[in-house]
Amino acid sequence: MLMFLRFAATRAVMALVTLLTVSFIVFSLMALVPANCAERYLAYKTTQGDQITIADIRAEESRLGLDRPFVVRWVAWVGDVFLRGDFGESCILRVRVSQLVGDKFLLSLGICAAALLFAYAIALPVGIFSASSSRPVLNNVLRLVSYLGLALPNFLLALIIMLISTMMFGDSMTGLFSREFRDVPWSLARLADFLSRAWLPVFILGWSATAFAMQTVRALVADENGKLYVTAARARGVHGVALLWRYPARHALGPIINSLGFDLNRVFNQLPIVAVILVLTDSGALLLEALARSNDQQLAGAIIFLLTASIVALNFITDLALAAADPRVRKSVMEG
Amino acid sequence: MQAAAGPAAPDRKAREAYFTASQGELIWARFRRNRAAMAAACVLLAIVLAGFFAPLLSPYDPTIAGRDRDYPNGAPQIPRFCDHNGCSLRPFLYTLERTRSIQTSFRWVTTVNTEKRRYVQFFVPGPEYRLFALSFDLPGVAIDIPGIAISTRLFGVDSGSIHLFGTDSAGKDIFSRTLHAIWTSLAVGTIGVLIGFVLALVIGGVAGYRGGWIDGLLQMLTDAVRTIPAIPLFMALAAFMPAEWSAERRFFFIATILGLISWPTLARRVRTHLLTERNQEYVLAAKLCGASGGHVVRRHLLPSFTSYIIVDLVISFPYMVLSETALSFIGLGLKDPVNSLGVMLQNVTNTDVLLNYQWYFIPVIFFIVLVLAFVFVGDGLRDAADPYADHR
Repeated sequence: MLMFLRFAATRAVMALVTLLTVSFIVFSLMALVPANCAERYLAYKTTQGDQITIADIRAEESRLGLDRPFVVRWVAWVGDVFLRGDFGESCILRVRVSQLVGDKFLLSLGICAAALLFAYAIALPVGIFSASSSRPVLNNVLRLVSYLGLALPNFLLALIIMLISTMMFGDSMTGLFSREFRDVPWSLARLADFLSRAWLPVFILGWSATAFAMQTVRALVADENGKLYVTAARARGVHGVALLWRYPARHALGPIINSLGFDLNRVFNQLPIVAVILVLTDSGALLLEALARSNDQQLAGAIIFLLTASIVALNFITDLALAAADPRVRKSVMEG
Repeated sequence: MQAAAGPAAPDRKAREAYFTASQGELIWARFRRNRAAMAAACVLLAIVLAGFFAPLLSPYDPTIAGRDRDYPNGAPQIPRFCDHNGCSLRPFLYTLERTRSIQTSFRWVTTVNTEKRRYVQFFVPGPEYRLFALSFDLPGVAIDIPGIAISTRLFGVDSGSIHLFGTDSAGKDIFSRTLHAIWTSLAVGTIGVLIGFVLALVIGGVAGYRGGWIDGLLQMLTDAVRTIPAIPLFMALAAFMPAEWSAERRFFFIATILGLISWPTLARRVRTHLLTERNQEYVLAAKLCGASGGHVVRRHLLPSFTSYIIVDLVISFPYMVLSETALSFIGLGLKDPVNSLGVMLQNVTNTDVLLNYQWYFIPVIFFIVLVLAFVFVGDGLRDAADPYADHR
């Protein structure tokens, strides 16, 4: 147990270091883009008819602390984020970023997690089944489906579904809430309304993740199927689902759990695009808005950091779960 | 392959050929046996060639210069061989007549006159264009290869115009645009893959060969970059491109960003391979002969897994094309005067297009076929490059 705690502690430190590195990368990228927050805000003010001077910009810069050296600004930013969960103020909107992002981020995280769950709920049984079945037709069909999952982009799938639903139901299924529930506080009716609409983004996001996961599961199980211990088990009379579940599937699960974090990464990649088409009000769309409309680097940096942080957190959790579940990993952890 | 046959001469010859074959020959022999991959390779080659010879193959200029004023949002025109007036060996189109009168409330109305044929001609003269031309005008470099000036197009019609895939809202020929778009998307992908490739080789190579704390540091960096979701990051960077940048600069910027993000996977693979390989005897031998670190990596270690690297590049290619398309699709990548597959997809979200002008979707088919072909070829190559594939 003590060893396990030590392992957990090392992993936590490593995750923290990764997060710090990421925050540095994100912060530098946001600092590299032309024009800083002060210039942006004042440029915005000129479009509203105000006259501004260089002195105004300098004053604004010192008010925002932009005249300090780069590293100092980074430390201040990271300190605020880690200690107080504060991402500072949005460049243009002059509102706290945490207020803007708010539960939108949690919503989108929930949708992505649901998409991932959906993907594996389909991919695991189908992948295991197809790896152990020797029918070439089935295998080729599955291969084609998973290739299509890659080649048929999510936005196209979203478009097709929207087109069909517009023609059949007269509702384009866009948005996460119907009109009457858009701005009311959470209630049971609102939750029901949300769930009746959230399945579409979940399905579309899960689509390519499913195809990808199916291929991984199939390859892993097929690899394990050929091994001697499976033959030995078969010789002992274990067969069918019991055999599959007891041996190859369990072995294949390890690498799959390990790669969950990167699967989440892949789903995040699709989120903004699907969000744009389906007009979702989650952080994917917010990110796009932050970028395309106002060039708000403070907001964009916060969102990218949050996305990455959730991936790092998931990686940390899966690492621990794997060590707890898989005796081989546990052994290597305890001894090394 | 390993059959223990008698000492018949042809069999022996075949075995000799097998044992003396180079790695490339072996991979090619295995690849050729994979029918799906071979078919995909042919399709891929056809698409790439079509993209390369786009100016020759397309009847019109893909930019606004080649627009057809009289046929905006026009439906595809399929050449036919037979109709009620009999057949002809030379394919033909019907004549479109555009009229405006008091009967039509002075709106332009297009009618098809099935009595008047327009015949398709091959190798017709058109406005001059340049094949193999290459010209960049970037801040640092300016390359200008004039290419060959040609004024012949592969096909056209004797009067009026031909639009195989229809036209868009400005009257630009979708067929011509698609062919040019393929080339642009492939070029962005190629540049991105190359940049990522060089970075991966350098970072993975140093980490794997040096090991120790350098390896630890580089691994941390690799892991950090790997966890950042790429497309949101692209968006963040692409959105800050100044709007006044020229098409070429945007193009190179996008390609560079794609490359800068894509290296971690390959770098990890290179590192893992080098870590196991650097303790081999041939490396020790080279070191004892006084070879420098760079020399050992370049001349001895990297060639030992060139095939893996090539396969990895082919596999990562469709992701590049997908990323470019996704970026351009949401309007943060390439913009309209440039033709890329993503730019062409921008318009299809429009409800008007969805319901009335479905031929806007034709480039989508090319896009899907291109990605699928790449995936199949990549998979085939991976199987072919795996030396243990035969023994399974």
